[in-house]
Amino acid sequence: MPTFVAVDTGGTFTDLVALNPKSGALRYTKTLTTHDNPIDGILTCVDKAGISLADASVFKHGTTLVINTLLERSGPNIALVTTAGFRDVIELGRGGRTEPFNLTFRREPPLVARSHRFELVERMNADGTSQIAPIREATAALATQIAEFAVEAVAISFLNAYRNPSHERQVSAWLREMMPGCYITCATDLSRQWNEYERTVTAAANAYAGPKAGHYFASLSQSLAKRAFNGDLYLMSSSGGVLSAAQASAAPVLLVESGPVGGCIGASVFAERLGLKKIIAFDMGGTTAKCSLVEEGRFAIDSTYYIGGYGRGMPIRAPVLDIVEIGAGGGSIAWVDNQGGLHVGPQSAGSMPGPVAYGRGGTQPTVTDANLLLSRINAANFQGGEMTLDLDGSQAAMSAMAIKLGYDGRDGVTVLASGILAIANIAMVGAIKRITVERGKDPRAFVLFAYGGGGPLHGADLARSLNIPTVIIPPEPGNFSAIGMLLAHLRRDAGRTFVRCVDEHLLTAMEEVFAHMEGELRNDVFGEFNDVDVVFERHAELRFVGQSHAVKIDITGVSDLADLRVRFNEHYVARFGHVNERGATEVIALHSVASARIPRPDIAQLARKIEARPEATARRSTFFASLGRAVDTAVYSRWNLPLGWSGRGPAVIEEYGSTTIVGPYDDFEIGQLGEITIHIDRRAGKQDAVT
Amino acid sequence: MIQSHRTTIDPVVLEIISHELQSIPDQVEADLTRTAFSPLIYEYKDYAVGLIDAQGRSIALARQGGPGFVVNLIGLGAREAMARHGDTLKPGDVIITNNPATIGHHLNDVVMCAPIFDQGGRIAAFMGIIAHWIDIGGRYPNSCSGTDTTEIFQEGLRLNSVHLRRQGRPVAEVYSIIEANSRMPEALLGDVEAQLAGCMKGAGLYAELMARHGAETLTGAVAEIWQRSASEARAAVAAIPDGSYAMECFLDNDGVTLDQTIPIRVAVHISGSRFTVDFSKMSPQVPGPFNSGRYGGGEACARIAFKYLISPSSAANEGSFAPLEVILPARTLLSAEVPAPLGRYSVPLPTVIDCIIGAMAKAMPDRCAAGHHASFGSYGFFGQHPDTGAFFTFFDTVHGGWGATASGDGIGPYKTMLHGDNRDIPIEVQEALYPVQIESYAWRPDSAGPGRHRGGLGTIKSYLVTAPCTAQFAFERYGCPPWGLFGGQSGTPGWVEVERKDARRGVLLKESELPMAAGDRLHVFAGGGGGYGASETRNRNAVQADLDSGLITEEHARNAYGFGR
Repeated sequence: MPTFVAVDTGGTFTDLVALNPKSGALRYTKTLTTHDNPIDGILTCVDKAGISLADASVFKHGTTLVINTLLERSGPNIALVTTAGFRDVIELGRGGRTEPFNLTFRREPPLVARSHRFELVERMNADGTSQIAPIREATAALATQIAEFAVEAVAISFLNAYRNPSHERQVSAWLREMMPGCYITCATDLSRQWNEYERTVTAAANAYAGPKAGHYFASLSQSLAKRAFNGDLYLMSSSGGVLSAAQASAAPVLLVESGPVGGCIGASVFAERLGLKKIIAFDMGGTTAKCSLVEEGRFAIDSTYYIGGYGRGMPIRAPVLDIVEIGAGGGSIAWVDNQGGLHVGPQSAGSMPGPVAYGRGGTQPTVTDANLLLSRINAANFQGGEMTLDLDGSQAAMSAMAIKLGYDGRDGVTVLASGILAIANIAMVGAIKRITVERGKDPRAFVLFAYGGGGPLHGADLARSLNIPTVIIPPEPGNFSAIGMLLAHLRRDAGRTFVRCVDEHLLTAMEEVFAHMEGELRNDVFGEFNDVDVVFERHAELRFVGQSHAVKIDITGVSDLADLRVRFNEHYVARFGHVNERGATEVIALHSVASARIPRPDIAQLARKIEARPEATARRSTFFASLGRAVDTAVYSRWNLPLGWSGRGPAVIEEYGSTTIVGPYDDFEIGQLGEITIHIDRRAGKQDAVT
Repeated sequence: MIQSHRTTIDPVVLEIISHELQSIPDQVEADLTRTAFSPLIYEYKDYAVGLIDAQGRSIALARQGGPGFVVNLIGLGAREAMARHGDTLKPGDVIITNNPATIGHHLNDVVMCAPIFDQGGRIAAFMGIIAHWIDIGGRYPNSCSGTDTTEIFQEGLRLNSVHLRRQGRPVAEVYSIIEANSRMPEALLGDVEAQLAGCMKGAGLYAELMARHGAETLTGAVAEIWQRSASEARAAVAAIPDGSYAMECFLDNDGVTLDQTIPIRVAVHISGSRFTVDFSKMSPQVPGPFNSGRYGGGEACARIAFKYLISPSSAANEGSFAPLEVILPARTLLSAEVPAPLGRYSVPLPTVIDCIIGAMAKAMPDRCAAGHHASFGSYGFFGQHPDTGAFFTFFDTVHGGWGATASGDGIGPYKTMLHGDNRDIPIEVQEALYPVQIESYAWRPDSAGPGRHRGGLGTIKSYLVTAPCTAQFAFERYGCPPWGLFGGQSGTPGWVEVERKDARRGVLLKESELPMAAGDRLHVFAGGGGGYGASETRNRNAVQADLDSGLITEEHARNAYGFGR
């Protein structure tokens, strides 16, 4: 049986996971990302892993290329065509100032300058009837004008096209014919929901990333083909599935969060296998911590995503996993303000210079330095010993800050270091509350599934603060995004604005729209794959008449209005705690999710072969916040612990790329998939994590 | 000032408590904006969510409410509740007030607050929300949108610290009065429910926090946070050169006496670390609805301008305004008393803030901006929807240009300095819901005030009305357009033009009831910001770039910049 390969190109590292299901041969490799040509890094990983691509049937890839092109503005010259009267919409935006007292607040400039924005006479009415049809001659004149600007791509976005995209489609067909070789994209191919500004930005972003993404996917295909790869190449999309290279080239905006979503898919597969209905997927890396929810094997999708963040970024309408991300990671810097207040992050030392302990010139203490000084990580065995940490440097930097804050003596360093962890933890607790409590969910009903370099270090403390009873650390937490990609199926999301009161004709009208969306997905999106069995989910956004925000509910299988209302009421009460059970409701949008299974490995094979020597490899004095002091602690090597083995904390479990901390009195065991399950001690849970 | 870094409270505990306190109003806010029925809450952010201590001081305020709410109106509401009900307040009580003498806003802005009790049965804090109620009666739909009311009694229902709940039970009579006095009772009661749920949730979260840390530690942490903000603010003020700085401008009219302008005169006295905003020459209160009360008016303007100038990036709390003093005589435009009408209370405020910032330009040339469009420029339509026969109202406010600064061209298009993260209503949403078609939305060329740095441009939005209805709008700063600084010139003001089959009429500024026929057009012009520095010194490439992209015409380039001669 052929090999499955997944490669995740991240900001710092390129990670590869390869598995031969028949032999069980498993390879993990990591190399520095090659930003000039990411393909070099990918091939280095392939070589390092010693696998033959001729034997590979599937190659899945997550990339930061699209988001980086948009953030760094490294795309080509592009043009925008809009309805006459509306070329400025993309620049005028919607007028919110997220820094209310800043007299110089500016958002990121639009992707297309005014000189490159063109207007065409055409008009669609709000009810989807055509008022003025576009004229071919006018379009031809426009094409000539645009050609003078030597653009590589053109975005088309017309007013009210979400109701009827025929004008956009007609003009894009004409422009393809008139401007051969130019990348043409129209907004309604990407979003069929109202809000002209967001849809126009989406089209522009797609046109901006399109030429570079298309070129990249093509050269990746060629490079793999040169290595005799004869299988299927898939790209990881932000909504939790994979796309073909052709689809990704046509709609690169679907890949804005191509990397982080991998871990979430991995978490959902583990949850399914372990029979866990509700988990929080928590990923803590060097600069940020991210969390998302997986319930009944599914994760929530947001349809608006801000390129560059909500504060100053621009919104696109693309389905992206609902993630809360905050600036708290191993590299987060501790600092003292001019009032003597202590803060941690959001600035990060990143990987360069990195924490003081990296010895690369960092001078400000970070979360990693704090973990090191509390003996939670091992200076001699960081990254499997590939990197030695500068304990003295960390100590000196921490000591200087401790004196500044009035924490005296050697004990002062410990107090400050544990304080830094407590502050970093409260920020991460806040992020988990946002993804749970602010969405009407009780975190105590969830399992905390922690990965990334820092997740296993902090998971137990976070769970303790949130009264979450169980933490699970998967195998290879440091490579978990790539593992998740290995497990991803095909998936595509579609949405329609559909404003309608709930009445007896509703279900028929909805059925018509769903049938249409599903037909399009089946033919246009999944048509290129042979023999796949497409499964559809249906979701609707509902609200009380007069509200602006709607709640999105799963309505797959709903057959009557009473059932629909029951689901809405249940969802609303769970989310907001109260509901007017008879208040008039309306539907505002319909969403369809199409997915199809493709072959993937069994996750039980992802655990390394165990050399069962379940004794501690060392003991060291390790600080625990729940005790307020350091205690003698057993240190284990993860791959010495056999399946089914159990123990009691305090314990430190080390492996390549990560360290798991088990608190005093917490019980832990090694599960069937190689995962570590930590049962948080309830007595400790009642103590204040700070004192 | 000598300060020890060693404080009585542990820095780690302090940082953790400040995170935890902030998360309470933030969590409540997330629910409020998602369950609200009024666009004034979910889109316009016309609300504030806050935790208030037992003395009515603000502990933590949700992050996304508008800048207008840096005045502690919830605290004023809580103090009024204490004064009226004092010891009789019980757990589970919820008090509402829109008393104009206390709040000083239009009657739509209602403070709701719930006392939180400590273990000894004393009031430890209040959880409160002030939110804009969509309609509470009065002469015009929305209660506050007329431009010619002359008494507060024409502007809706007054609720002076009445119980909405007693010990957890709804007070049916009060609900009944509210319901009977609103044109949109269903939406309003939905919002009241959201506001109530928020107060209850926040009160519960604060009680948990008290249980975790102890009331005393919490109080100590809060005092420390205030003290630090106060000393930071004092240090910033101390860096400003001492002196008195004054400026004068005017508003067009009060909507009743149309040919009489309203003078706005402000002075700021800087003395050491004291920042005194002096309104002693402010216009007396006016017959029309453009008055505001002392806290919602003068105090608010002083605080907002202070934030823009002194501490734009930090969160505001009780300590942030320690250096600020306000001299404000009674019965001025910004300290009006009952029965002065307050419906459009907020309209003058952006101009007053602009004027304080302008006054300080001499003292802080690098921190100030030239005048911004400063006009709410609220406009909208109401009537019967042709498809459903139901009553509809649509309102929005304009986005215009802001003033240039020492560091660059003016920003925008945004709403006014009184607004924050307020988004406009998308064109496609308007067209789908109301009988209008928008024919264009674009930059307004030549509207920016010329200067070394030019102002931000205004915008033009053109409406075609497709069914008979009534238009209503209110624009300001026509006579006194957004000024330039240090040789920069004024921006072009905003206004409305009406185009009917036979004629086009403009410039119009204020109308409460303008009949529109199907086929009529309304052109909404938003103003541009003022320039900074002499226009002759503007970088020639920058002028060329504006010309190339059509933001200025050749004529303007020639006249304003001496370009291309």
